[in-house]
Amino acid sequence: MGVCYHPSPEEKRTMMTDRVIFVCTIVVAAVYLYATTLIPTLEIGDPLGPKAFPRLLGFCLLLAAAMLFVEMWKDRQTAAAAPAPSGPRDVRHLWILAGVVVWSGLFYAVLERLGYVVASAIYLLALMAWFNRGKWRANVVTAVLFSVSSYALFAKLEVNLPKGILPF
Amino acid sequence: MDTLTHILNGFSVCLQPINLWYTFVGVFLGTIIGVLPGIGPSAGIALLIPVTYGMNPTSALIMMAGIYYGTKYGGSTTAILINTPGESASVMTAIDGYQMAKKGRGGAALAISAVGSFIAGTLGVVGLTLFAIPLTSMALKFGPAEYFMLMFFAMTAVSTLAGKSPAKAVIATLIGLMISTIGIDLQSGQPRYTMGVPELQDGVGFVIAVVGLFAIAEVFSQMEDMTKGVRPEIIKLQGRLWFTREEWNLSVRPILRGGVIGFIIGVLPGAGGTIASIMSYVWEKRLSKHPERFGHGAIEGVAGPEAANNSDTAGALVPLLTLGIPGGGATAVMLGAFIMYGIQPGPLLFQNRPDLVWGLVDSMYVGNIMLLILNLPLIGLFVRLLYIPGGMLMALIMAISTIGIYAINGNPVELYFGLLFGVMGYVFRKVDIPVAPLVLSLVLGGIMEQSFRQAMTISGANPGIFVGSTICIVLLALSVLSVLLPFMLPRLKSWREGSANAEA
Repeated sequence: MGVCYHPSPEEKRTMMTDRVIFVCTIVVAAVYLYATTLIPTLEIGDPLGPKAFPRLLGFCLLLAAAMLFVEMWKDRQTAAAAPAPSGPRDVRHLWILAGVVVWSGLFYAVLERLGYVVASAIYLLALMAWFNRGKWRANVVTAVLFSVSSYALFAKLEVNLPKGILPF
Repeated sequence: MDTLTHILNGFSVCLQPINLWYTFVGVFLGTIIGVLPGIGPSAGIALLIPVTYGMNPTSALIMMAGIYYGTKYGGSTTAILINTPGESASVMTAIDGYQMAKKGRGGAALAISAVGSFIAGTLGVVGLTLFAIPLTSMALKFGPAEYFMLMFFAMTAVSTLAGKSPAKAVIATLIGLMISTIGIDLQSGQPRYTMGVPELQDGVGFVIAVVGLFAIAEVFSQMEDMTKGVRPEIIKLQGRLWFTREEWNLSVRPILRGGVIGFIIGVLPGAGGTIASIMSYVWEKRLSKHPERFGHGAIEGVAGPEAANNSDTAGALVPLLTLGIPGGGATAVMLGAFIMYGIQPGPLLFQNRPDLVWGLVDSMYVGNIMLLILNLPLIGLFVRLLYIPGGMLMALIMAISTIGIYAINGNPVELYFGLLFGVMGYVFRKVDIPVAPLVLSLVLGGIMEQSFRQAMTISGANPGIFVGSTICIVLLALSVLSVLLPFMLPRLKSWREGSANAEA
C-alpha cells in the first residue's frame, strides 16, 4: 500500500528490448515496402497485381509498430521512466550458441562431400563432447550408432541422404 | 443417414492393418515427443513430413494426427516427474502433479492423467464427429471474401489471445505473411523478394521454417540453460500406478468439465491447449471446497487440465478439417502437410474424400485407446527417456532437423535457411515475440492473398466486399471482439476482485 513502484532490472531490460523491436519493425516495414516497388508489373490479368497485398502488409506492419509504441508508452506510465540497463550481463552462452551455429554451418557445408554418415558422426561427437562432457564412451557410441542407423532407416524410407566418401 | 454410413466406413479405413500400424507409430512417436522436453508437436510433425512423401495421404495424416494428440499424453509425464512441461500445454499439470510426485503419489498422478486424457480425448473426438457436418454445410456458403475474413479472424484471435503483448504477436503474424509473399507470384508469374536467390523462387518452405523456429530454436534455448547450469531433478516413480477410489471421485468431474472446456477452446482459433488447461485449472480451483489444496498436490489440478489439453486437440481439428483454417501452430503445420499432398481440407473434402476425413477422425478413437495402453502399463518405458542426458538429446535433435530439412529437396542451401530460422526463433523467444502466429500466417499466407485477390476481382477492386455479407460482418465483429477482449479482461478481473474484497 502506497509503496512507490520501481522497475526491476528485468523490466528495464524488457523496455530496452521493446525499443529495439520497435525500431527493427519500422526498418523491416520500410525495406519491405521499398522492395515491393521493385516488383515488375505487367498491367494484365488480375486488376490488383502482385503488389497490392504486399503493400497492405507493409502498411499494417507500420500500424503494428504504432501499436507496440502505445504498449510501451503504457508500460512506461506504470513503471516510471527508467534509464537504460547497465552493468555486466552474462554473455558466455551467446558465444557458445554462436559456436554451435558456425559448427552447424560447417556441417552443412561438408555434408554432401563427406557424406551424411561421416559428417553427422563428427558433428554429433563434437556437440556431445561439449554439452555432455566427460562421457566419451557413451558419446562415441551414440554418435556412430545414430548416424549409421538413421542413414539406414531413411534409405529404407526412400529418403536418400548423401553418401559421400562411403562406398554404400 | 448418409453421414452415418461415411462415419462407419471411416472405421473400415482406419482399421485396415496398414492404418492401424501408422496410428500406432503416430501415437508412439507422439508420446515420445511429448515426454522429451525441447520438442513439441509442431516440430515433431514437421520433421516427419519428408518421411511421409512415399506414403498414401490417409495413412500419413493419420500418423500426423496421432503425433499431435499423442504429445499431450506424453507431456504430462515430464510435467509430473521433473516439473518441466514436456509440451507447453502441460504447464498446469506440473504444478500439482510435481507436488504429488514429491509426496510419493506420482503413480496416481500419471494414472489419472492417462485416464483423464483418454476420457476427454474420446469425448473430444465425439464432439469432432458431431460438429463437423453442420460446420461444413455452413462453410459451403463461403466465397473468397468470407474465407479472407475467416483467416483474418483466425490471425487476429491468435495474435491477441496468444501472448502477453498483442502488438508483438501482430508483428509476428505480419512477418509470417511477408515471408509467405517471397517467391514467384502464381497469378502474375512475377518473382517477388527473391533477391536473385534461386532457392527462394518457390518460396520459403514451411517445413524449413517450422523446423527452424520450433526445433532448432528450442535446442538453442536448452543449450543456453545447460550453459547456465539449470538442471532439473527427476523424481523416481514409486508406488502403484493407479489411483485410489477417493482420488477417482475427486477427479471424475474435473475430467468431464475439463473435456468440455478443452473442446470449446480448441474449436476457437487462437487460444489452444495451454489456455485450455489454464482455464480448467482456474475453474477447478474456484469450484473446489478446499482451494488451498491446489498447488500442494491436488489431484483435481492434474485431472482437469490434462483432460482439457487432450480434448483441445480434437476441437482444434474441427476448423482445420471443416473450414481448412487452422487455429494454432500445430494445426497450421498439419494444414501445410495436407497442402503438400495436394489435399485442401474444407467442406469439399467431406464430399469428395469422406474415406480420408472419416478414416482420420475414426483413427483418433483407436489412437486414444492405444495411448491409454502405452501410457499406463508401458509408462516406465517412456520415463526412461527422461534419463537421456540433455546434451546428447539436443545434439540428436539438431541432426534430425538436418535430415528433415535436407530430405525435402536435397538442397544444402535450405539447411542454412533452417539455421537462420533457428536463430530467428531463438531471438524471438528471448524478446517475447511468439512464433506460433508467424507459422500460422506463413502457412495461410498464400491462400489468404489468393482469396483477397479473388474477392477484389469479383467486386471490381471494391474493398466493400469484405463487409458485404452477414458472414463477413459476423467474422469482422468477432475479430474486433478478440482485439478488445484482452483490454477488457483485466478490467473485468480487477472489478471482480474488487467486489470479492468488498464481500470479505
